[in-house]
Amino acid sequence: MTSLLINALRRIHLSLPTQTAVKCFSTSSYNSNTLDITKKDWKFPPQYTKPREVWIENLDSIEEKKLGLFELHPAVYATVPRIDIIHQNVIWQRKFRWVSWAHTKTRAEVRGGGRKPWPQKGLGRARHGSIRSPLWRGGGIAHGPRSGKSHFFMLPFHLRIHGLTSTLSAKLAQDDLHVVRDLNLPSDEPNYIIDLIEQRNWGPSVLIVDDTDIAPRNLTAALDALPHVNVMPVYGLNVYSMLKHDTLVLTQSAAERIEERILCHLHSNTRKQQAAFKLDQV
Amino acid sequence: MERITSLLKVLWRPSTNFVRTRYHSEKTRIIKRYGYEEKLWSGGLMPRSLGKRLPMPEYRPLNPWTERRALFGQNDYIDILGSGELHPLRTLYTIPSWIKGVSGNEYQILLRKKKMFAKTGSPQVRPTKWKELEKRLGFLYRRLNRKTKTGFSST
Repeated sequence: MTSLLINALRRIHLSLPTQTAVKCFSTSSYNSNTLDITKKDWKFPPQYTKPREVWIENLDSIEEKKLGLFELHPAVYATVPRIDIIHQNVIWQRKFRWVSWAHTKTRAEVRGGGRKPWPQKGLGRARHGSIRSPLWRGGGIAHGPRSGKSHFFMLPFHLRIHGLTSTLSAKLAQDDLHVVRDLNLPSDEPNYIIDLIEQRNWGPSVLIVDDTDIAPRNLTAALDALPHVNVMPVYGLNVYSMLKHDTLVLTQSAAERIEERILCHLHSNTRKQQAAFKLDQV
Repeated sequence: MERITSLLKVLWRPSTNFVRTRYHSEKTRIIKRYGYEEKLWSGGLMPRSLGKRLPMPEYRPLNPWTERRALFGQNDYIDILGSGELHPLRTLYTIPSWIKGVSGNEYQILLRKKKMFAKTGSPQVRPTKWKELEKRLGFLYRRLNRKTKTGFSST
């Protein structure tokens, strides 16, 4: 990877100046008319693994143009993709919001049934005490579902962080994660997006993640007709959506933001978040 | 002529073999009533559809990309990726507050529901529902305390 970067630098006749920045997430970029190469200085630099490099792509033409090189932190984008943790995360996402409203009435709640239908003895018939017994047609249900069954639980904080890093790493390793500079499109035609996805082999569905809440007008207008291409802000990103969509497209700022949030949690005291869930805490 | 045949019989006697059994597989079949088509159904049981179409529903695949399904799970990691002030439970707007984030058995959930609804107008507005809630709570209380084992107790 480093040799690739050096080669790229040689090709554009640039020399690599020394890094002097010490700020938390400062970036120093080298701009030429063809390629923009970004070297990052993290507050928590990777210790044993090298940063992963990705191409910065463009969205303003259907053909892919490589606008530059970008570094991703290996603790976030190149961890071991633990599929068991990913699975736990998906199960948690489905369960913690799941409330089953299935309901049946017991023999006590069905109307009527207070009178003994016929005398206990002397008729030659089976003994019965209520017409709402579970044995009867139209009677109550024994051991049926009772409304308001909650499946809530909270997955431990760090398992959720590792779910995110595992999924991001798997996406990057499988070439399903793309970084674009911005989301500006030349037109608001849905066909433009369809052609672009077809041209770049992005698969049947795409999730676009931006740093801001507000996406450009051209993008939202084009995506109105495309239910399988969705936009999310960074704080809306989750494991389920990343797995549901084939390709994950991050803007450069979104990739940095995700990295910053996760690195911040990985290197800070999270005792508060790790504490057992209490109902009155939220 | 007769003399010749008797002479032949004396001269040449073919070896004969008595067949005692005729195997079923060697019998030739007689096709009875050739050309007749059986009008009775003999292919097994059929449902009583009474001339109507069978109640098999037409297969209609779900659209997996409705807005709700396409964006399922959004904001579930808002406490990690967001500013950290908001818990993901706070984004579940569709779940009633008395059951949001609650885990427990039926008794615990109903007890919480009763506690939260007691000070509202619910007991007056829906007296039957309220009565059934209290009745169910009483039943579950007796069952849990008198019929089931609790925690570490041996009895």
